[in-house]
Amino acid sequence: MPGVLVYVEQVDGEIAAVTRELLGKGKELAAALGGPLSAVVVGSGVGAVAEKAAAYGADTVYTVDDPRLSPYTTDGHVAAAKVAVAAAQPALILAGASFQMRDFGAALAADLDAGLVVDAIDLKAEGGAVTAVRPSHGGNVINTYAFAAGRPVVALVRKQSFPEAQPGAAAGSVQALALDGAEIRTTVNSVAPKTGAVNLTDAAIIVTGGRGLGDKDNYYKLIPPLAEALGGAYGASRAIVDAGWVPYEHQVGQTGKTVSPRLYVACGVSGAIQHLAGMRTSRNIVAINKDPEAPIFRVATFGLVGDVNEVLPLLTQELKSRLSR
Amino acid sequence: MHIVVCMKQVPRDNSVKINPDLSINADGIEKIINLFDEYAIEEGIIWNEKHGGKLTVLSMGTDEWVEQMRRALAMGATDSLLLKDPAFATLDTIAAAKVVAAAIRKLGDVDLILTGRNSTDDESGAFAPALARVLGWPQLTYVGKVIDVNPGSKTITAERHLETVVETVTAPLPAVVSVIKDINNPRYPSLLKIKKVAKVEPPVWTAADLGVSGLTPTVTVTQRVPPPPRPSGETIDGPDAAAKVKKLVDKLLENQII
Repeated sequence: MPGVLVYVEQVDGEIAAVTRELLGKGKELAAALGGPLSAVVVGSGVGAVAEKAAAYGADTVYTVDDPRLSPYTTDGHVAAAKVAVAAAQPALILAGASFQMRDFGAALAADLDAGLVVDAIDLKAEGGAVTAVRPSHGGNVINTYAFAAGRPVVALVRKQSFPEAQPGAAAGSVQALALDGAEIRTTVNSVAPKTGAVNLTDAAIIVTGGRGLGDKDNYYKLIPPLAEALGGAYGASRAIVDAGWVPYEHQVGQTGKTVSPRLYVACGVSGAIQHLAGMRTSRNIVAINKDPEAPIFRVATFGLVGDVNEVLPLLTQELKSRLSR
Repeated sequence: MHIVVCMKQVPRDNSVKINPDLSINADGIEKIINLFDEYAIEEGIIWNEKHGGKLTVLSMGTDEWVEQMRRALAMGATDSLLLKDPAFATLDTIAAAKVVAAAIRKLGDVDLILTGRNSTDDESGAFAPALARVLGWPQLTYVGKVIDVNPGSKTITAERHLETVVETVTAPLPAVVSVIKDINNPRYPSLLKIKKVAKVEPPVWTAADLGVSGLTPTVTVTQRVPPPPRPSGETIDGPDAAAKVKKLVDKLLENQII
């Protein structure tokens, strides 16, 4: 029976956390489908990562190891994945939902004429058929998808949707596949880390400021220190990004980043529906705003009515002394 | 050169309802150009001004969309094209890409396709890659800066702005490019230009015109529900700001949130 194939994302020679989640969920889905769990590691010099993937429960780990596969190109990685798809003949192909994986996964699905779901938060396999759940419309609509029979499904999964697999004793086999006949049309001239990069989507705690802060100086005086006291990252509403206070990189919401941290602290943010779209799935939300009618309070776990310019310095001080940072 | 911008109309916000047949009901919400597509239109105008030729705004939609297409014309697009057919109403992303690809092939002389990184309603970001693969063209997604479009060497060089890195990539033309928000500052069309295009009716191509038929969706929606409500929150009260702050920190520590 066809099983599940996981595309292994690598971060500095390690398996990305989202891939460990997919190996765990993939094992369960493969069992439900009655097929094997396989994984594919694509890149240059990927032997060590493949060994690690095998320890996380994949029955077979395919490698497509070729100098042309690093750095990432759509042409190269889609061609490599298709070699693994031909070998594994999976019913379901899983990858993460980062920008690079969306570039890859949608292209792969188009090539395979497969079903595609982007940003899945849940997956099921029943009676040989896969269904997927994904939010759309800024989280205001939760969709369940079914897929046409007889074709594979490509599911790009939002991180932190499933528990991570734990490494086990029984390691699967590693099988090398060759990248043949791939034409890579794009040339990657450079890959540079973003200067002052804020990976908001990875942060466990996010402190966001909005127009209620009054001006740019207040934002920088109050928000980064509070984020630092909490050991978190800092974000911004669209209003203050568009006003030029804070770079776009920090924007949370419909046209910025979608985040789901353990703690989201919204300071002087009114909570327009476009903002809620980007943060409503946060596990805990603290809202601080002087307007008790602000919509942000409707999603808040803890709501504090007050002037951010008065409250935030006190809060930062209180946290510093009690968390001894 | 001929640049095509693929544009989608979306509701200004996502306070949509779900119809009994599971379609999305955005009645009563103002319709706008998908924000990311507005950046694609501006980027198209910038390169059209530099290299001349045509800048076509292309949409797959209904007559309702024409107003937003006119806005793109008022901004500076030179041509428009509406793909309209009852058969297009329920297509999934890959099937939609097949229809648009058929139109691009029919146009015949397209060098570059620009579009937004995703629509703000469906939010998948799958359209640009799917279109590129169906056409067999290279793709550059999440572009935050176009460094050069060179009609002589038939190449485009651009920065892809990913979560933690910036890639600088060169692709041969024709190519498909999706853009992010901070790539440029979209211009406001002048009243004069808005008046000038107010009566423009975009040419319409149907499924028959494009020779597409038998498009079967690979994805069907079997359930659509609103999200589960968040558990109701707690108001942090106190005689003054200091007392409220202390109580808030107590709560965060008690619940092991920090």
